Order: sequence, then structure tokens, then C-alpha cells
Amino acid sequence: MEAGEFKKILAAYDTKLDEKLSLNVASFKSINLDKSEKRTLSILKYRITEIVVFSLLALFMGNYIASNWNQSHLAISGIIVGIFTLIALAGSIGQVTLLKQIDFAKPIVDIRNKIELVNTHGLLFVKLMFLSTPIWWSFIVVGSDSLFNIDLYANMDADFVLKYLMVNSLLIIPLVWFLNKLTYKNLHIKWVRKTIRLFTGSKTMKALEFLNDIEKFEN
Amino acid sequence: MVNKKEQFIKTIDEHKKIIYKIVNSYCPNRDNRKDLEQEIIIQLWNAFDKYDDTYKYSTWMYRIALNVAISFYRKEKKWFSKSDFYNEESIFKVEEDTSEVETELDYHLKLLQEFIHNLNELNKALMLLYLEEKSYEEIAEILGITKTNVATKISRIKLKLKNEFKKIRKNGSRRV
Repeated sequence: MEAGEFKKILAAYDTKLDEKLSLNVASFKSINLDKSEKRTLSILKYRITEIVVFSLLALFMGNYIASNWNQSHLAISGIIVGIFTLIALAGSIGQVTLLKQIDFAKPIVDIRNKIELVNTHGLLFVKLMFLSTPIWWSFIVVGSDSLFNIDLYANMDADFVLKYLMVNSLLIIPLVWFLNKLTYKNLHIKWVRKTIRLFTGSKTMKALEFLNDIEKFEN
Repeated sequence: MVNKKEQFIKTIDEHKKIIYKIVNSYCPNRDNRKDLEQEIIIQLWNAFDKYDDTYKYSTWMYRIALNVAISFYRKEKKWFSKSDFYNEESIFKVEEDTSEVETELDYHLKLLQEFIHNLNELNKALMLLYLEEKSYEEIAEILGITKTNVATKISRIKLKLKNEFKKIRKNGSRRV
């Protein structure tokens, strides 16, 4: 069967629809169209809440760094935690920007890309979590100092600090390699799929798969 | 407001086949079709004031309807509000076919629809637009890919479709 024949089938179907398809005006009029205008996207609310939380945290960290500027270990730990907070904040702002750009009247591939990028947001937090592994102690130091007023560093053995820095600096290169692998472009690698699925769930996984499909479709 | 609504109903009535075909292609579950129909109508209504007349009405409508259908298909219904405003009734009425004999055309149409059902979301959109005799330029505009890409993809899908039909004919079966 050739393309012309498919079109003939569809043309015949069109003629049939012209004769038999009609608008159910009563049902149409009963749709509450105005109500839809008042709807807000719940996902947008979540992301705005994230922005508020991370902004407050960033302000807190700024204040924490300023007040502990003379104690280098606390200031450095604060800067590290602050950087992570700012990355998370930037991620959430990026999400709101994407959500605001979603307009269904725009070309399909562009809109699908944006929607799926929103759906893969969870992966950013997973990456941040892994990225913070070598410097996890900074979170503990800042947490214990600000919540319980306990300076853990002052009670640490100098040897422990040295060993900690050495071991964890060795982790940085494999970690960067590992995080670079965690993208939709590497979904064909079994362990990448398994890791993403394990840490982000099937919704993110499906979105990443679709991003892959979109890229193939575009090329 | 009344005028705007009346104008909107008129526009939908003129282009009802677009929505009907997209809904049927993206929603295999008959029970969910009315939800998708209504979701498309609501999104069209929301965008009605922002209609950009540099594009044809049909281009605008295809973009919105296909975007909504793909989201619906991918179970993103939570992006929209809960379906408390959905009607029980479909907004389209199709007269029942009284003839009990399945014609060759009905049979081929069924096969074609089944083939389209089995394509992925983006190829499905591409195929629908191609079968609607849209120009490559318009398809590229709706989808947001290049004209060359449209041409390449269509020829690949056509070949696949041809082979599917050939296989079915060879097997002499009326089932896919």
C-alpha cells in the first residue's frame, strides 16, 4: 500500500466524519471554561515554595558566614553549605522560569523539552546529594554549631581532619565522573538506569527517557 | 463575553475534526476520551485571547491539542486541576453506523489507526499531520523541527507502514 492510498483512506474517513460528526453544543456549553482560568499549576507552587525555603537558607548561611568570619573552619564550612544552597536555589529558579515559558501554543518539541526538564528536577537534588559526599562534614559542623551551639571542630583530633581531607579529596574525581554519567544520554548503560531509577523513581526516569526520544526526534 | 464564547464555539465547530482525530489517536481508552476532549477545549479557551494570527487557526489548534494530548497520554493529568469540571457527556456526537458489514475501507482505516496508536508520541503527531495533508513547512512549524527532518522522518514512517500492511496482507489475517 502506497502513501497515496493511506491518504485516500483518510480522505474517505474525513468525508464520513463530515457527515456524522457534530458538536454536542449543550455538553460544550456546560464545561466550566471560566473556572479553568483561575487554576494554578500545583507544580509551580511547589517550586516557588522551594525558592522561598532556599532563599531563607541562603540568607541564613550568609549571616552565619559573616558572624563566623574570624573562625576559619566555621566560615569555610558555612561557605560550602552556602554554595550548595545557592545551586539548589538556582535550580529552583530555573524550574520556575521553565514553567513560566510553557505555552501549549508553541512548537511541540520545544514545549515537551521544557516539560520533561521540569519533570527531571529530582535528579538535580540527587546529584547535589552525591556531590556533597566528600564534604559532608561541613553540614555536620554547621548544623551542630547553629542548632546546638557545639563547635565540633574544636574537639576534633588534628589527625582526623587531615585523614578526612585526604580521603575525601580522592573521592572528588570519581564522583565528578559518576555524576557526569547520570544523564539521559547514558540511559543505555544499565547501571546508570538502575542508579537513576533507585534514587529518583520512575517518573523522573520516564521523563529522562522522553528527553532522549525528543533528542532523537530532533536529529 | 458571550460573543467571545460564541466565537470560540464556532471556531471549535469548524475545526472539530482536528480535536476528534487527535483524541482518538492519543487516547486508546474510550472512557478517558471525554476528559481529554474537555482538557483540550479548556486549554484552547485559555489561549483563545492570545491567538497569534501570524499562524493559521489550524496550526495554533494542532499545537495546543497535540501538546495537551501528549501530556495526557504521558499521565501528566496532575499538571491540570482535578477533573471536577469534566462533564459526563462527550462534546462530540458521532452518528452510529447502521451497517453491520465491515467495508474494505473500514478495515484499512482500523489498521491505519492501530498503526498510528503504536507509534511513539512524537511520531504519532508527525504521522497525523502528514495524513492530514499538511505541508512539510506547516508540520515543521507545528512540531518545531526542520523541514528536512520532517521529510526524512515521514519517509521512514511510510516505509514502516508499508511493510506493516504488506505483512498483514501476506498473513492473510484481518487481525493486527
